[in-house]
Amino acid sequence: MGEEGDTVLTLRQLQESVDSHPDDPSHHFNLGVFLWEKGKQSKEIKEKAAEHFVISVKFNPQNDAAFRYLGHYYSRLSVDNHRASKCYQRAVTLNPHDSESGEAICDLLDQEGKESLEVAVCREASEKSPRAFWAFRRLGYLQLHQKKWSEAVQSLQHAIRGYPACADLWEALGLAYQRLGMFTAAIKSYGRAIELEDSRVFSLVESGNIFLMLGSCRKGVEQFQQALQISPQNVSAHYGLASGLLGLSMECISLGAFRWGASLLEEASKVAKASTCLAGNISCIWKLHGDIQLTYAKCFPWMEEAQGLEIDEKFFSTSILSWKRTCCLAAVFASRSYQRALHLVPWQANIYTDIAITSDLICSLQGSDKQDLNAWQLPEKMSLGGLLLESSNSEFWVALGCLSSHGALKQHAFIQGLQLDISLAVAWAYLGKLYREKGEKQLARQAFDRARSIDPSLALPWAGMSADIFVRELTPDEAYESCLRAVQILPLPEFQIGLAKLALLSGHLSSSLVFGAIQQALQRAPQHPEAHNMNGLVCEARFDYQSAASSYRLARCAISTFAGNVRKSHLQDVSINLARSLCKAGNALDAMLECEDLKKEGLLDLEGLQIYAISLWQLGKNDLALSVTRNLAANVLSMEQTSRAASISFICRLLYYISGQDSAIISILKMPKELFQGSKISYVVSAIHALDQSNQLESVVSSSRYFLKSHEEITEMHFLIALSKLVKHGSKDYLRIQTGVNHLKKFLHMYPSSGLMRNLLGYLLLSSGEWNGIHIATRCITAGPSHCSKEEGLRSACEILGAAVVACYTTGNCNGKFSFPTCGYECLHGSGAIQQLQKWLRQEPWNHNARYLLILNYLQKAREERFPPHLCIVLERLIGVALSSQMFSKKDMSCQYQKFQLLLCASEISLQGGDHIGCINNAKKALGLFLPDGSLFFAHLLLCRAYAAEDNFVGLHEQYLRCLELKTDYHIGWICLKFIVSRYKVQNDSNLLELGLEESPKEMKNSQNMWMAVSSLVHGLIAIWTQDFLSAEQFLVQACLLASAESSLFLCHGAICMELARQQCDSQFLSLAFRSLKRARETSLSPLPIVSLLLAQVEGSLGSKTKWEKNLRLEWFSWPPEKRPAEIIFQMHLLSRESKEVSDSSLSAESCQNPRRWILQAIHLNPSCLRYWKALHKLME
Amino acid sequence: MKLAWLKTVENAHEDSVWAATWVPSTADDRPPLLLTGSLDETVRLWSPYELKCEATNTGHCLGVVSVAAHPSGEIAASASLDSFIRVFNIRNNETIATLEAPPSEVWQMQFDPSGTTLAVAGGGSASVKLWDTGKWQLIASLSIPRPEGLKPSDKSSSKKFVLSVAWSPDGRRLACGSMDGTISVFDVSRAKFLHHLEGHFMPVRSLVFSPTEPRVLFSASDDGHVHRYDAEGKSLTMALSGHTSWVLSVDVSPDGEAVATGSSDRTIRLWDPKMRAAAQTLNNHTDQVWAVAFQPSKGPGGRGCWLASVSDDKSISLYDYS
Repeated sequence: MGEEGDTVLTLRQLQESVDSHPDDPSHHFNLGVFLWEKGKQSKEIKEKAAEHFVISVKFNPQNDAAFRYLGHYYSRLSVDNHRASKCYQRAVTLNPHDSESGEAICDLLDQEGKESLEVAVCREASEKSPRAFWAFRRLGYLQLHQKKWSEAVQSLQHAIRGYPACADLWEALGLAYQRLGMFTAAIKSYGRAIELEDSRVFSLVESGNIFLMLGSCRKGVEQFQQALQISPQNVSAHYGLASGLLGLSMECISLGAFRWGASLLEEASKVAKASTCLAGNISCIWKLHGDIQLTYAKCFPWMEEAQGLEIDEKFFSTSILSWKRTCCLAAVFASRSYQRALHLVPWQANIYTDIAITSDLICSLQGSDKQDLNAWQLPEKMSLGGLLLESSNSEFWVALGCLSSHGALKQHAFIQGLQLDISLAVAWAYLGKLYREKGEKQLARQAFDRARSIDPSLALPWAGMSADIFVRELTPDEAYESCLRAVQILPLPEFQIGLAKLALLSGHLSSSLVFGAIQQALQRAPQHPEAHNMNGLVCEARFDYQSAASSYRLARCAISTFAGNVRKSHLQDVSINLARSLCKAGNALDAMLECEDLKKEGLLDLEGLQIYAISLWQLGKNDLALSVTRNLAANVLSMEQTSRAASISFICRLLYYISGQDSAIISILKMPKELFQGSKISYVVSAIHALDQSNQLESVVSSSRYFLKSHEEITEMHFLIALSKLVKHGSKDYLRIQTGVNHLKKFLHMYPSSGLMRNLLGYLLLSSGEWNGIHIATRCITAGPSHCSKEEGLRSACEILGAAVVACYTTGNCNGKFSFPTCGYECLHGSGAIQQLQKWLRQEPWNHNARYLLILNYLQKAREERFPPHLCIVLERLIGVALSSQMFSKKDMSCQYQKFQLLLCASEISLQGGDHIGCINNAKKALGLFLPDGSLFFAHLLLCRAYAAEDNFVGLHEQYLRCLELKTDYHIGWICLKFIVSRYKVQNDSNLLELGLEESPKEMKNSQNMWMAVSSLVHGLIAIWTQDFLSAEQFLVQACLLASAESSLFLCHGAICMELARQQCDSQFLSLAFRSLKRARETSLSPLPIVSLLLAQVEGSLGSKTKWEKNLRLEWFSWPPEKRPAEIIFQMHLLSRESKEVSDSSLSAESCQNPRRWILQAIHLNPSCLRYWKALHKLME
Repeated sequence: MKLAWLKTVENAHEDSVWAATWVPSTADDRPPLLLTGSLDETVRLWSPYELKCEATNTGHCLGVVSVAAHPSGEIAASASLDSFIRVFNIRNNETIATLEAPPSEVWQMQFDPSGTTLAVAGGGSASVKLWDTGKWQLIASLSIPRPEGLKPSDKSSSKKFVLSVAWSPDGRRLACGSMDGTISVFDVSRAKFLHHLEGHFMPVRSLVFSPTEPRVLFSASDDGHVHRYDAEGKSLTMALSGHTSWVLSVDVSPDGEAVATGSSDRTIRLWDPKMRAAAQTLNNHTDQVWAVAFQPSKGPGGRGCWLASVSDDKSISLYDYS
């Protein structure tokens, strides 16, 4: 009611104002607008409105809105297009921003087909105002329609400024860019359109097409898939998707991923087939389907579905036949699709060539023989079809040349192609191939060279170059490289087999490039015996003898099934390969059977004889083996120089193994000397010579050694000589290590960089058990990250390092945080060893030795640091991992020993952690292992300690008796036992303990002394427990005499002497102490603590105050700051008091604080000492 | 006028069926046979009533694009994509002759009404080849003249790729349709090119003269139209539109009253030229229809006859036209 009232009211007001000012156009206009808006469907009211507009316009011809309303009136109500367009035109002229009028007039003109007028209107508006975006938009579309691409780009770009969210505009801009060839810009524009509206099929399809054109198939495929989700019937999206998949699969195939390529092609074929159902008369879809099927036929790989193909020949051949059938079927499908395409557009020349190529493939797959040479073959004829329609297409000529079976025609076709385009690399390449087949090597070479220089990315010329290895006088390496290039460009089985052959010549057979290539060749040419044979050789080079053997078997199957008549020698080669790989794989029985088969056919050559002999020997048929060897020896002289040496070494070794050292030596002496000329044979002879005590082979060996030329060979020989010295000069169960060490030391000066010799020297030094040997060992090896993994000699450098560091009694911690190293040899690696071992373990996580040595080193470290909990946890875990390994289930002695050590470690950790039960359990577990008594001794020793810790003295005694029973060769064992016995006062009625220590081996002089010194030290310590300082002093004098380089012994002696001096007030002891302490300070490398303090006391007692001060200061600096004990600080207080009284000039340590603070610091560190409090009290007074 | 569906043979061939024609009945009353050629490289003969496969002739290396039957009903010819024409005896499939042409130069074929000449649309050669049916020798090559202003060295002869050929019922005229949409008319007796018939702008895949009116020529083109020309008067007299895709094949009923067409839009249409409109649309094929063929009636007496159609969906259908 109210609204209506308002309307009436407004109307009346407007009417009144019109009536009052009939000449005012604005009143008329306002009334007109009101009526127009309210008029809705009523024609009469609108007519009335129009009347007012007309009046308004009459008075004010500049009112564009009135013209617009009039235009609406004429176009919609009175349907007078002419007038309507006039009105709109006027409106637009007055106000170029009026998009409503502008669009309306353009629509009107468009309906009437007046395109040029439309353009003119838009152009006029756009020229008048840059903000007339509607005009730019319209103009852009029109220019696009008229294919004026660059103008359209400008208009559209301008329009986009006005309507940035209009997907249509972006799409149109994308199209314009695409037509201009600005693909990146086009992709961006399309992308923007898709962003704004994700259902833009056109943008999706076109950007997909651009992606395909730019070669990024994967992105293209994504676009098409998206387009298909929106519009599943879209033919161009289907087409694009299929061709994108084809492109992707081509990429895969060019990398040799045939199966992947094939699966992509299957998908592509489905898509293409679906699109042919949508539009059956579009030839390019059929052609695409043909392309897909043809590619499929060319890439479908043969797969070894099941194992054991090599045994069942029939199964093998059916598998290959079914593979062939699949390929052939795909080719037939391809042919059919091409024929459909041709039937639809018979004037398209390239389809003739496609059919020709496909028919050629079908012929080759079906293996149909070439018929009459005079009649046209189908491939030939169809490729002519293309040429008839387009004789100036050089590629058709090349196709004809490739497909023709007629030599002269081929040559003619290639030359025709080259006349059309002299730089057609393909034509040159095929021409080269043709010449090569004809035997015109020089021409072939020229053609290939030219092709290669025109287009180096063509595979055939590279392959041709590598095939001409002898004509071009290439080295095998060069030929291999160029063939490799051909294979990498185009993975054809022919190239790949060739590559394997060249790799055999050039020694690259174990390269994974060759392995990959030959595996691919198998997928595409499984009927080719050479592919299997080569695969076998490659596997053999990679030490996979089982696979090699099965490959050779397959090669034989292929020969008998698919290759018509093969030369016998080929079959022989394959069989010998098979026998060899069987022999290497450890299958001596089969190898022998193969050899016997060959022998029956008379094909057993010298290599075969060797295999035969070896497999007979492995089977234990020594007599037969010997007779074969004799047979071989009879033929040796007829052999070539290179293989002769190998045969001789073989014969010598086999003789040694079968009939023993003596008969081998006799045979060697019987053979002519000139046979033993060569490095390899020299090793064999030297090795036999080493074992021979009577030196019968002296002359042979020395003459053969002349042939050692290279650095490596000579060092290897020295290695052998060193070992032989050990053996020769040693006895049956004892090696003279020192002679070997001497030899190596001598020659290491000549070959200082030989890792082999260094490692052996280190190993020997370690094995010698000499006191200082271990330190020298760590110095003579070169251990680093690059050396760890390299196995040189008997042990790797890392192993030696790890073992040496464990063996060093000084535990090599250089930072002095936990102990004060007194080792005179300066362990070079020290704590670095743990890092080194960790690196090694990280490189070879499967290496038990690395883990084992790491554990031992960690234990050493933990011991040094008094078993901190974090290290114990690490150790427990490491030991847990190590013990869980399968390796320790072996009955091997060294494995058992390692397990024993690990269990003892675990036991030690438990003991230190207070877990006595765990300790005892682990030690008992260790006792369960089968090891010599000398080792088991230590388990009992540990049990002693565990029981002692438990205060179980019965158990302790029992274990002690067990120890005595078992005995050990290791001094340390006895000494420890002695220590425990004295510590816990175990009843010790027998003298067995002392005897044991004395009975220990004495062959090592240095060590013996050292051990005796240690033993004396222990005796001394025991004496101190019983307060028997005099005898303690005696023991230590003895110890100091035995080991004059050990500063700690002197320190100990000095301390005892001071105690004696104190007790007995004897200045003689004081001077003894002075001498020992002085000696201790001189011998120790780094300042030993306490030595100076004691010296200061001695000096003080002797009355020299300055010397006392000097020594005390020295003492201060011999402690690392964080470890200085309370006592030294207390002493410093004395010093500072002195210096305060005397002078303040010194810069020494004591002057930095006053005496009171020194005492406070000392009390802070050790508040329980009454002495300090007293001193403080005194000072305060 | 009406087509009534009689029978369909699914999978009549192993692949798309591309060509079909009727072999007339012979003097010794052997009934007419249907001859079809397919992409599966075979030619098959079918009995007219139950569409039973009478014979399967092999021997082509590629798909069969065209078949033609001699008016006597004794011999027939088939041509494949590799441009071999095999002429064989209907009764025993004996090869009578093998005519070879350069590739791309054999498309549609037709025997002249008297049976003395076989006309072959010469594809890329831009000509029609005439073969003598007695000696099986090439007797003439009717070339389409090059458009003026085109240099002889210009290699664009493919523009005039000849796809279809038709004899007038009196044997005096020969029309051929080419890829650019023009139809050329020749005077056979003088071996002379007469004139072009224009109007199509896409390949003309099928041509047929009206059996009752020698001047009237029907043409089917990829532009979706069927035209009726006055072949002598050089004028387009009617254009029939309705197919939504290429028109692949056209044939005129023996009485000259109706025209049937097969198309890529998978339909067959029956047109009434008098009404200038389609009388019927048949949708029973599921893929494009490559050929339609009316069975030529023996005389004026027989009112009805059959229409056969073959398609990419491998099937053959038979209809009764009345």
